[in-house]
Amino acid sequence: MTAIWWWLQRITGAALVVLLIMHFWVEHFVSENLRRGDLTYDAIRARITNPAWQAIDIAFLLIALVHGLSGARNILLDYSRIGRRGARFATAGLVVIGAVWAWWGIAAFRNL
Amino acid sequence: MKDLIRKYGGPFSGMVAHLIQRVTGLLLLFYLFLHVRTIYALREGPAAFDQAVGAFNGVLFKLLEIALLGAVILHALNGIRITILDLGLGQDRQRRLFWAWSIGVGALIFLAGAIPLFLASVLRR
Amino acid sequence: MTGSYEVRVTKSAGVRSFQVTLGERMTVLDALFRIQAQQDSSLAFRCACRVGMCGTCAMYINKVPRLACKTRPAQLDSAVISIAPLPHLPVIQDLVVSLGPFFDQWKRIKPALRGSGADTLAIIPPNPDTSRKRDCITCGICYAACGIKASHADYLGPAAINKAFLRLKDPRDSANKARLSVLNDEWSGVWRCHTQFNCTAACPKKIDLTDTIARIKRAMLTS
Repeated sequence: MTAIWWWLQRITGAALVVLLIMHFWVEHFVSENLRRGDLTYDAIRARITNPAWQAIDIAFLLIALVHGLSGARNILLDYSRIGRRGARFATAGLVVIGAVWAWWGIAAFRNL
Repeated sequence: MKDLIRKYGGPFSGMVAHLIQRVTGLLLLFYLFLHVRTIYALREGPAAFDQAVGAFNGVLFKLLEIALLGAVILHALNGIRITILDLGLGQDRQRRLFWAWSIGVGALIFLAGAIPLFLASVLRR
Repeated sequence: MTGSYEVRVTKSAGVRSFQVTLGERMTVLDALFRIQAQQDSSLAFRCACRVGMCGTCAMYINKVPRLACKTRPAQLDSAVISIAPLPHLPVIQDLVVSLGPFFDQWKRIKPALRGSGADTLAIIPPNPDTSRKRDCITCGICYAACGIKASHADYLGPAAINKAFLRLKDPRDSANKARLSVLNDEWSGVWRCHTQFNCTAACPKKIDLTDTIARIKRAMLTS
C-alpha cells in the first residue's frame, strides 16, 4: 500500500494522544498515593493485575513502539549516506528491536 | 548570532518545529525504554521493586518527570500541527500554528500539569 | 541614505572582509560588483538579469539563501553582510556553485511535456491549483534551504517536485505514471519531505512549495 509509513505515523500518533491523556490521568490523579506522586508496588500492582488494564497497556506499548521506531526510521532515512540498502537493513533492524522490546514489555505482566 | 535568531524565530521557525519534534521524539523513545525496564522490575517482588523506584521519589527525578511532561506536550501538539498541515488546512498559517498552538497552548497545558506536580512532589520534600 | 557596510565574503581560499559604501537602494549584487571592481578583481560570482527574473545570483546571504540582486542591506538590518555560496551544492569557485545536482533531480521527474501528437498543442483553461506555482526560475534557493537536502543527496527537492506537479495537473501529458513512481519513492521522493517549510520561506517567487508537496502526498494516500 502506498504511504503505509505515513499512515502508521499519523494513526498511531492520534491514538497515542488519547492513550497518553488517559494514562497520565490514571497514573497521577486516581488514587491518593499516586496523587502525592508515590510509586509503590501495591499502588501499581492493584491496577496492573486487572486483565483489562493489561490489554490496554500492552496495546499502548505496541502503538508507542510503532510510532517511536518508525520515527527513528525516518531519521535514519534522511541520511542518504546509508544508501538504499542500508535503509532496508535499518528498517529490518528496527522491526527486530521493536519485536524484542514488545516481548519484553509483555513479559513484564507475567508472574505478577 | 542575531541573524540566526531572526532566521529561526521568524521565516524558518518550521525547521525549529521539526528539530523539536525529532529531539523530543528520541528522548521519549529513550524514556519508554526506561519505563518498560521499571515495570519489568515488578517481577522482582514488592521489596526489590519499592527499593528500585525509591530513587524516583527524589527531587531530581520529579524534576525530570516534569521535563518529560514538557517533552510529551511539545511533541504531541506539534504532531497535531503537522497532521493538520498535511491535510491541507492552515498552510498559510503554519508559523502561527507553531507559536500560538505548539508553543503557546503547549505552555499553558504544561503549566497546568507541572505546577501541581511541582507543588505536590518537589516542594513537599 | 548611504551606509558603510562590512561585507564578509566566503571565497574558496577563506573568508575575506571588505568595507563597502552602499546607497539605500543598492543591492548585495551591487556590493559584489563594487568589491570586484575596486578591491578584489579575483572575486568570482554569477549574475545575469540583475532584476530577480533569471535566478542566477542566488547566494547564502546572512545565513539565508537569497537572490543577491533582490536583497538590500537595509532589509538585512545589519552592519555586517555575510555572503557565502549556496549550500548543498558543489562549489566551483568563490560564490559560484554548480547546479548540476539540482538539475539531475529536475530531470528525474521528466520535466518536459510528453504528449501524444496533436493533443499536446491543445490550449487548456487555466487551472487554479497551479496558477501560483508556475513562476519557478530554477534558482536553486529552495534546494539550498531544504533541511533534508542538507543530509540527503538523493532527495528530489522542492523545485523538481513542484515541476512534476505542474505536469501531473496537465491533461495533455501522458508520462505521469512514470513521474508518480519517482515521486512515490520512499527513499528519495515526496516522503522525505517533513514539512519544515524552509523552501516556502526562502522562495524568491513566493511559490508555496510545501503545499505542492503536501498535495502530491495526499493524492498518493488514496491511490
